[in-house]
Amino acid sequence: MQHLLTCAQKAKYLEFKNFVSSNVEPFSEKWDQEQKIPERVIFSVAESGYLGSTLPLNYGGQGWDIVTFGLLNEALGRGSSSLTSVVTVQAMVSMALLKWGTDEQKAKWLPPLATGNMIGAFALTEPGVGSAVQALATEFTQDAVHDTLILNGKKQWITCGQHAGLFLVFGKLGQSSIACLVPADALGLEIEPIGGLMGFRSAGLAKLTFNNVRVRSSDIVGRPGFALSHVAPVGLQYGRISTACSGLGLLRGCFEESIAYSAVRRIDEKTVGEFGMIRTLIAGMGVDLEAGNFLCHNACRAENDHVPEAFEKALTAKLFTSRAAVRAASDAVQIRGASGCHESSPVSRFYRDAKIMEIIEGTTQIHEHLLGKIFVDQAARLCN
Amino acid sequence: MRPENESTIKETVKRFISSSTNITNLDDDENLFESGLANSLFAVQLMTFLEKTFAIEVEMDDLDIENFKSLNASTAFVVKKSGKRDNG
Repeated sequence: MQHLLTCAQKAKYLEFKNFVSSNVEPFSEKWDQEQKIPERVIFSVAESGYLGSTLPLNYGGQGWDIVTFGLLNEALGRGSSSLTSVVTVQAMVSMALLKWGTDEQKAKWLPPLATGNMIGAFALTEPGVGSAVQALATEFTQDAVHDTLILNGKKQWITCGQHAGLFLVFGKLGQSSIACLVPADALGLEIEPIGGLMGFRSAGLAKLTFNNVRVRSSDIVGRPGFALSHVAPVGLQYGRISTACSGLGLLRGCFEESIAYSAVRRIDEKTVGEFGMIRTLIAGMGVDLEAGNFLCHNACRAENDHVPEAFEKALTAKLFTSRAAVRAASDAVQIRGASGCHESSPVSRFYRDAKIMEIIEGTTQIHEHLLGKIFVDQAARLCN
Repeated sequence: MRPENESTIKETVKRFISSSTNITNLDDDENLFESGLANSLFAVQLMTFLEKTFAIEVEMDDLDIENFKSLNASTAFVVKKSGKRDNG
């Protein structure tokens, strides 16, 4: 895919890979075991401009194109899915706010989000409500005090919830869907870390409980009634692009670890890579890697060009790379044998993280449901 | 906005709706969202199409179903936004 990149994009990709090899890869297993990424690491990501990469320069962002954003996520995904998820949710909140925020909201929140002085989190998922977001139970009610809402409800599996200073919370106001900015220090908001995850163990997931949290009407993002149809899709679009590219990075990690091991591990007189069964597994990874590269590039280009097809391109890339990452991680562990089953091995972490890729930003089944309908409808129109 | 431009806009929007949904024989005032024939991504796809094709920006204050509910509504919205853009 290198031939599709501009010189500037190639240079940034090299910078990202150098950052990851120095600051991420040597420490990923430790973070995974401790279920925590040190604040100084997130600070170094922020200091490099990676948390405001897609925000415009006038808000303090980097103003990068979406292909460069994809390359950043791919490079980080090679090192740590958990660390990449900080970039994912920051983009989800920032880009939803950039699109639908008022001038006052954007002036107040985008500069700290762009520099990373403020970490954002996308509070959509609830206990019992994952991909079926129409069934949200989190409730906003009008307060007697003018221009104030009262927020009650629970959110779960909120990535970066432990680090976030600002939540974009989705719920209902009467029969209308609503999205609202809620600072982490709001009175009545309890943030409870979630531990014991299979993968994404250091992604700072949290459970949020809102007990009569007072929010200002001026903190509503978009207009009531459009939170699920227009605000959430902007965030989820960036979430899917980021996750697709992060999954691609994980896939590359599986491929690189597997070929390196296969070249040196010997059984009798032969290296592992000389066995046909191993070559079959590596060939599968290599082909998926090539295909995933094109699908991710396609999705990033479509979003960058702001075309209606961008949504299905992102769904396609995310569906493909998350499933391919699961296959590759399983095969990478198989190639490594017992040593791949130990927590000190990156492929062990890849195996656990890859499965999470099939769950977040819409499950594999939700992607298949949406894309299946899109493709069938397209075929029906061709027949008419 | 001159009348012929409005009709051009309408034709362009109609082609997009026809190519993105399974609505056949689209009535100019048919409610796209109540018909159930538009898929769940259609709302943001339509918005993206209008922004890209007519160089306008759908903003927070534009989030009103009356602006997008039908072919005629979307056409009128584009005419209004284009006028604002051209008149500064």
